[in-house]
Amino acid sequence: MDRIFGLDQQMFISVAFQLLNACILAAALTFILYKPVRKFLKKRADEIQSRINQAENDMARASELMAFYEKKLADIEEERLKVLEAAHVQSSEKSRRMLLEAELEMAAQKEHAFAEIKAERERTGEEMRHHIIDVASAMAEKFVARAIDEATRDRLFDETMAALEDTL
Amino acid sequence: MDINNKVLWIFDIFGVEVWITQTIFNTWITILLLIVLAVLIRVTMGGWKRVPSGLQGVAELLVEKFDNIVRNAAGEKFMSLGNWFFAAFAFILASNIVGIFGLRPPTADWATTFAFAAATFIMIQGMGIKHRKGKYLKSFFKPNVIFFPLNLIGELARPVSLSFRLFGNVLAGMILTSLIYSAPYYLRVLLPAAMHAYFDLFSGVIQTYIFCVLSLTFIGGAAEET
Repeated sequence: MDRIFGLDQQMFISVAFQLLNACILAAALTFILYKPVRKFLKKRADEIQSRINQAENDMARASELMAFYEKKLADIEEERLKVLEAAHVQSSEKSRRMLLEAELEMAAQKEHAFAEIKAERERTGEEMRHHIIDVASAMAEKFVARAIDEATRDRLFDETMAALEDTL
Repeated sequence: MDINNKVLWIFDIFGVEVWITQTIFNTWITILLLIVLAVLIRVTMGGWKRVPSGLQGVAELLVEKFDNIVRNAAGEKFMSLGNWFFAAFAFILASNIVGIFGLRPPTADWATTFAFAAATFIMIQGMGIKHRKGKYLKSFFKPNVIFFPLNLIGELARPVSLSFRLFGNVLAGMILTSLIYSAPYYLRVLLPAAMHAYFDLFSGVIQTYIFCVLSLTFIGGAAEET
């Protein structure tokens, strides 16, 4: 009965046996190994894909935030320039006003000083006049005492006054 | 070394004599070994990491590579057949290799190779009808009705050629190796190892790959319009 090959009923019974064995093996390997490994691989692939998606979302969100903050920085810079310009204008105006006020005050003080000088000059002139009159009177008294006439006295007075005015 | 397929037990089932041959017994041993190996891999799965290494790497590589073979040979729509061909690949490969351990390879029996070829034949017809429906049946009558017998013979020749290719290669390897074992002692020093390496390992892997890829190509071809 031992043989290598024979096309008979026993061969086809053996074929049926082997088909059954193959089906049992396929079912066992599928259940024990193939499906669990594929499931594991799929789960891992899904997990990696999910991480990639998450990273892409994070990247997009980071880009949005970056754009937002860049815009905010640009706005702040614009605002800074506006404030700086306004401050510059304001300070220029203030300085111009202060300068004007200082000039006005200076002019007023100058005018006041000139007025005071003028008044002092007049007052000094008047005092000098009185002093001269007093001196002249004293001189006249002495001159009269030496018999000088009135015309000579007046001429002497005018000459003295003119000499005084020239010195002032 | 006896190259004959021995009958180990004989049963009488419903009046039909059934032989339990060496092939069937060795098939059970091979299946048992594969299941034990699968269980061992499965047991380690609880500790599998995101970055594979060791046994996990081997298991992942096998499943992924096999999926790629199915995808490339038959197409994406036949991925559901992956588990069958994964088992067929594992069994045929293991059957071709068991000769190294002194067992008679189950694939050295036409009953084994024809069983797998018959399964392929059933899948070819099933997928052809499922995907092309009436057009598939009509393809037997093309280009003309008189070609029907030729087309039919061509179709029936597929499982026969598939099964005999594998059976012939494994049997030839087994016979040649057996001859070496019967040779004078000085030829039995290194030559048997080389013979096993070539016929059981190298040729075994090549023939397994050819069987599975051809089967998948036939299935893919039957389901596609020509």
